[in-house]
Amino acid sequence: MALAAIRTSSLTKDYGRGRGLFELDLQVAQQEVFGYLGPNGAGKTTTIRVLMGLIRPNAGSAYIFGLDCVRDAVDVKRKVGYLPGDVPQFGSLRGSEVVAYLGGMRGGVDRKVVRALSERFDLDLGRRFREYSSGNKQKLAIVLAFMHRPDLLILDEPTSGLDPLNQQEFYALLRETREAGATIFLSSHVLSEVEHVCDRVGILRAGRLVKVADLEELRRARARHDLVGTEPSLEEFFLSFFGEGKPKQLPS
Amino acid sequence: MTVLFGLRLGRWGLAGFTLTGFAWNLTQTVGFYQVVGHSAAERAAFGASIATLAARFTALVPPPIQPETVGGYVEFRGFHELAIIFSVWAMFAATGFARGDEERGIVEASLAAGARRTALLASRTGSFAIAILVASAASGAEFGIGVASGGETVDPRRVIEVCALLVAIRLASYGIALLVAQLATARTAAASAGIVLLALFLLNSLSRSFPSLSTWRWLSPFRYYDLSQPLPPGGNFDLRGFAGLILVAAITVAAAAAAFERRDIGESLIRVPARDRPPVYDPIAAPWWRIPVVRGLYDRRLGLVVWAIGMGAVAVMFAALTKSIVQVLLSVPSLLPYLSIFIHTQVYPAVLGYTWFNFAELLVAAFAIVQVARWAAEDTDGRLEMILSAPISRSALVVERMAILIVGVALIAAVSAAALLYASHVNGIDLDARRLFAASLMLVPFCLVFAAAGSLLTAWNPRAAVGLVAAFAFASYLDTELGPIFKLPLWLQDLSAFKLFGMPLLNGVDGRNLALLLLLAAAGVGSSILLMQRRDVGA
Repeated sequence: MALAAIRTSSLTKDYGRGRGLFELDLQVAQQEVFGYLGPNGAGKTTTIRVLMGLIRPNAGSAYIFGLDCVRDAVDVKRKVGYLPGDVPQFGSLRGSEVVAYLGGMRGGVDRKVVRALSERFDLDLGRRFREYSSGNKQKLAIVLAFMHRPDLLILDEPTSGLDPLNQQEFYALLRETREAGATIFLSSHVLSEVEHVCDRVGILRAGRLVKVADLEELRRARARHDLVGTEPSLEEFFLSFFGEGKPKQLPS
Repeated sequence: MTVLFGLRLGRWGLAGFTLTGFAWNLTQTVGFYQVVGHSAAERAAFGASIATLAARFTALVPPPIQPETVGGYVEFRGFHELAIIFSVWAMFAATGFARGDEERGIVEASLAAGARRTALLASRTGSFAIAILVASAASGAEFGIGVASGGETVDPRRVIEVCALLVAIRLASYGIALLVAQLATARTAAASAGIVLLALFLLNSLSRSFPSLSTWRWLSPFRYYDLSQPLPPGGNFDLRGFAGLILVAAITVAAAAAAFERRDIGESLIRVPARDRPPVYDPIAAPWWRIPVVRGLYDRRLGLVVWAIGMGAVAVMFAALTKSIVQVLLSVPSLLPYLSIFIHTQVYPAVLGYTWFNFAELLVAAFAIVQVARWAAEDTDGRLEMILSAPISRSALVVERMAILIVGVALIAAVSAAALLYASHVNGIDLDARRLFAASLMLVPFCLVFAAAGSLLTAWNPRAAVGLVAAFAFASYLDTELGPIFKLPLWLQDLSAFKLFGMPLLNGVDGRNLALLLLLAAAGVGSSILLMQRRDVGA
């Protein structure tokens, strides 16, 4: 049996007052694209930060390619490309300097890959970070996550701030990366994005994993769900799943 | 409402500087009664020794009036130094509002909510005015308490006058910094305002030693501050000087408001057009980005160069001033007994070594605090999360930070030592080069103590780290200043890096003190590594 790319067992990070992540049992196979869905505050970013060794779990364990995310954090990160939910501030550094700085820290970065990625997203690395628009900052974060051709990509809302054209380009990049043998774990609010690229999805609610299903299974379940006779989107299914069949309207 | 919002944003500065002003003046006032003596002869002797001390620092503060009295002493040791410290606060408050809040989007959100630019600037200036009124009142109240503890009384009008002067000089500094911040880029606003304020400060203070500068000192607000010394008996409050400060504040704030109305948000009023160039898609190939420590030094290169040049320039200034100061002192017969402690060696090198290293300690402590501020910012703005997503351990990160700091401060110390050696040679002062470089290198473990404390505090609570490490440095300075006066236990005095630094140019490097400095630094770094391993990042 192949080693799981990600495996967690009873993983818990309790922030108190019901916030955090509780008893997460999850397995992501190698070369799988796994979508991690849930409303705000559900615990998606907490899961990702535990996997990255940035925060320590209160209980349970998390492994990436068989390596303990806490004990073997350095070795884990050699295999992982990470895109955080909030792009960090690099002030007056130029894009090329940010890439050189973090690439130098990481090692194993192929300049040709950086060039290909920045050309693909039309990201001018000669500009200072503070001059970048939010979309360009996100593009830089994508370059930083993919530049060393990692075995596993952990992406926290990766298309946030990207325009539709660049979103499509990003989906294409995900497909190519998966075909090249990488595993992808991405959190998202954008359900159409998950439909585009994911093999399986996990739905998180109030810190607990409430559903894991492959996309076909989810579509079938969605079709059976009180929307018979229509072609419900994953978004509609998601809203009905969380007890909000119709989007709320603003008071007039 | 926006005034309250401004106070809310600046609450830590208000709390910190109010506490600093209170503690500083309280210790100076209470300390005065501990050391002044009881008889008239003892007081006179004390006053003469303070005059000697003051003569060494004429490049920073004006000479005191009647330092044998509590008013004269606290005016000199307390309020004058507070004016400098609080001007730094004014600078950070002004540039923090003008450009820092812009970077964080607060200004944009306020304007989008319907605030007018001039009203926004006026309300934030009003917030700062309230803050400095509170801080100045605390300093004045403490002086009254301290004087009462010594069994004396103080004229409340004098206290109000000295507090009013503090408010006025800070408002003038705030206005100048606010104006400069409109003209400079966001990246250079704080540095530009600091340089302008420092230049204006030095213009006034150096005019005491270089008469040729006196024709220009009217440009400096610090000149108008110096015209008054209300606290000592026979002192004065110069109403025109006070009005001058208020006028400077009013003009600069108005000019800043006009500039703010005319410039684009996020841009400076004076904008250099960007050059056309093709887009860049390649990362930088330079090898130094791949070498630990070297990449950090390269990233900080501009700051290091500015620190090295700045400290070198100050060292040159100290060397240039030494002879003229000592000659003035030697011409006063009553001061000769106090100078005799230096004359048994060589008076010029001794005085230069004493004054320069006292000042260099403060600068190096400030350098450590600036580095701690950077580490804290890395933590709060997400860069640390990104750095730790690379295969680098947390302990390696702490060690690399320390190594960068050690190399940086060694570089700054070496440049300042070379500048001091050259300038002293030009001025005919014979310094022992080996001892000078050894003493300068002693600044490295000294700096490391504050950096290690800052590293520990950053690992514990990055948002509070800068304020706490500054408070630690302040307490350390007070410890060495007041330890002998209040006869604190030796072990407690030995916790102060300022005490442990000693006077290495005069007495050589003390092995025991060096070992203690290194021990303190090692304890701080070790603890910060342990704490860093356990803490959550980005949570």
